[in-house]
Amino acid sequence: MLISPELILAIFGMLVLVVDLIGRARTREWLPWVTVLGFVLAFAATLYIWGSNASIFAGMYSVDMFSLFFKLLATIAGTMIVLVSIDYLRGRTTRQGEFFSIFTFSILAMTMMASSASLLMIYLSIEFLSYTSYLLTGFLREDKKSNEAALKYFLYGAITSAVMLYGLSLLYGVSGSLNLTDIATAFANTVDPSVRTVALVAPALVLAGLGFKISLVPFHQWAPDAYEGAPTPVTAFLSVGPKAVGFAILLRVALTTLPIYQASWIPLLAVISIITMTLGNLVALRQTNIKRLLAYSSIAQAGYMLIGLVGVNLTGNSPFSGLNGVLIYLFAYLFTNLGAFICVIAIENATGAVNIADYAGLVRRAPFVAALFIIFFLSLAGIPPTAGFIGKFFVFGAALREGFLTLAAIGVINSIISVFYYFAVIRAAFFLDAKDPSPIRITPLVTAMLTVTAAMVLLIAVYPQPLFNLAAWSMGMFGVVK
Amino acid sequence: MIPLQFYLIVAAILFCLGLFGALARRNAVAILMGIELMLNAVNINLVAFWRYVKPAAPTMDLAGQIFALFVVTLAAAEAAIGLALIIAIYRSRDTVNVEDVDLMKW
Amino acid sequence: MLTSQFLTYVAFFVLSAIALIGAFLAVTLRNLVRAALGLILSFMGVAGIYFVLEAEFVAIVQVIIYIGAISVLILFAIMLTRGLMTSAASTQNSQWIGAAFVGMLMFAVLFFVAITTNWPLAQPHTISDLIPRLGADLVTTYLLPFEAVSLLLLAALIGAIVIARE
Repeated sequence: MLISPELILAIFGMLVLVVDLIGRARTREWLPWVTVLGFVLAFAATLYIWGSNASIFAGMYSVDMFSLFFKLLATIAGTMIVLVSIDYLRGRTTRQGEFFSIFTFSILAMTMMASSASLLMIYLSIEFLSYTSYLLTGFLREDKKSNEAALKYFLYGAITSAVMLYGLSLLYGVSGSLNLTDIATAFANTVDPSVRTVALVAPALVLAGLGFKISLVPFHQWAPDAYEGAPTPVTAFLSVGPKAVGFAILLRVALTTLPIYQASWIPLLAVISIITMTLGNLVALRQTNIKRLLAYSSIAQAGYMLIGLVGVNLTGNSPFSGLNGVLIYLFAYLFTNLGAFICVIAIENATGAVNIADYAGLVRRAPFVAALFIIFFLSLAGIPPTAGFIGKFFVFGAALREGFLTLAAIGVINSIISVFYYFAVIRAAFFLDAKDPSPIRITPLVTAMLTVTAAMVLLIAVYPQPLFNLAAWSMGMFGVVK
Repeated sequence: MIPLQFYLIVAAILFCLGLFGALARRNAVAILMGIELMLNAVNINLVAFWRYVKPAAPTMDLAGQIFALFVVTLAAAEAAIGLALIIAIYRSRDTVNVEDVDLMKW
Repeated sequence: MLTSQFLTYVAFFVLSAIALIGAFLAVTLRNLVRAALGLILSFMGVAGIYFVLEAEFVAIVQVIIYIGAISVLILFAIMLTRGLMTSAASTQNSQWIGAAFVGMLMFAVLFFVAITTNWPLAQPHTISDLIPRLGADLVTTYLLPFEAVSLLLLAALIGAIVIARE
């Protein structure tokens, strides 16, 4: 029962292939709906096992509230991305069966990453997600940009994952075990100062692989190209999926394995956080392509999220534990960033345009999309009353509580910088005249998805209590470890 | 017995040679070759640790070898995906030099 | 006893030299077909090191998969994208000095970790029924990764075909 979400996803991943293989042209229309059914069932199964706290498969796999939180995130993201990719893929590829099958497997990989509690499962699930992401990025093989994006993404990913793997092998060597709990015990019980070196070097190497998935500077160079070249629904997926579960593993490794070395990794993460948000925001100012702009924006967002981990403090009963900040931020970011990308997809479906200049006069051509752009950009910049504000409030609050005043100040300054490039898009959409004033037709499905994401962004802002509870439940297991 | 450190040093040299190849080469296939060397270095580490290090639990006494086998399997899948992408790029623009693959700036 | 000790040392040093020389050739030779042959040499040396470590099964898997599959795949790709490999232009990119620096820095760190750490050593253990134990463990303790990797291979297979087919 405990792995039923994973089993459902595995079955549906194969089922989609079979339906594609034996079906006729008309049955193939159902492929995305079969995929969505799989995600909905996996979502329901996650809710069904809600509250479990078990370690299964010889301690390799933790089905705890923390992992279930990320499984909910993964299946929600999967459902929305499939729904918006239906119109996008039509006419761009004839291989929809393979696309949806690989996509289902990538969501499966995300759910496995969330639960991985062994070096082997961590490596395996990260690679699983990476391989499927490379394939989805390069899926439009007639499109030169898609090819190029996939190759660059692949080469960066393969190098960083090899570096990460070296770090994992050192962790195995120093503990004689693959399970994170055993490694934690080995670190906690030793008085040997030489182990301290390994406890610094090995996680730093692992951070290369995770930083690649999360797109932290200096492992971010793939992101702008991969985001620009990938099919836009895949870009939307890359901006939320790997980032979320990358954080899941980062949090799990940092908080269960290395809490006694917290004093030594906090400065490193603080520096990375500052560089990541500053570089992401400054380079975003110069972008003319909306997908590249959102790529740099999502790099910067990863920097903000990292502030929560820097300010983490699980002792006491403060509402700002840092960990809950990261979880709340991720949840808010999921809907915000997906929403922004669905706006981009809506315009691209109708006109093919992805440059900010093409958004001139959008308010007359597609008033609904233009209005929602404002909501999503306010949320990305962290301005109330939006979900993004709640997220930033909790991560910055944690940094202040732990006395990282400079870090929080840099975070706030960065949020202000980000307003400029978000506003550049708004300016084009509202205050410039369109070259071609013909209205843009938005399909009903995309409209529905836009409504859902925008509603969630506002709902989280006005009624955040359920999300607070969700985050509080999810981090319960770390309290036990401490 | 050969000390464990000897194996670790060989692995470290091999890893850094592979890393150098992966960072310094222009050709995508050559970069992939560097990556394969890095994975081999990790496997030497894993198998050497398996042989020398005290397992934390009785169930962990084969962990290093099993991990190494999984690394080999994933390396094969990685090579297949990488070469598929390289061939697709070669078809569309007659080059596999990463510096010439520059429709978008790096 | 002493001679067998000595022979183990000789085997280790010879095999390590093969692995490292092969690797050096693989990352420096201009002609990529020759570089790939260097890579195969290196894989052979590594397989030998596994034999010295008494991990026969991993050694055999190394030969079958790395040399039999991955190297052949790489050679195949080199041949398919031919015409680019024999050009006089340098095969190193402009950042090779930086890359060499990164490699040496990384080596310094890894070397330091390897020799200064007190690894939790035990009597080197040999397992007499190694291969049956590996097989049993794969479908009991490691059942979950075993099943997961099969799905991964399926996804990789489908994806690679979709992207590379004519």
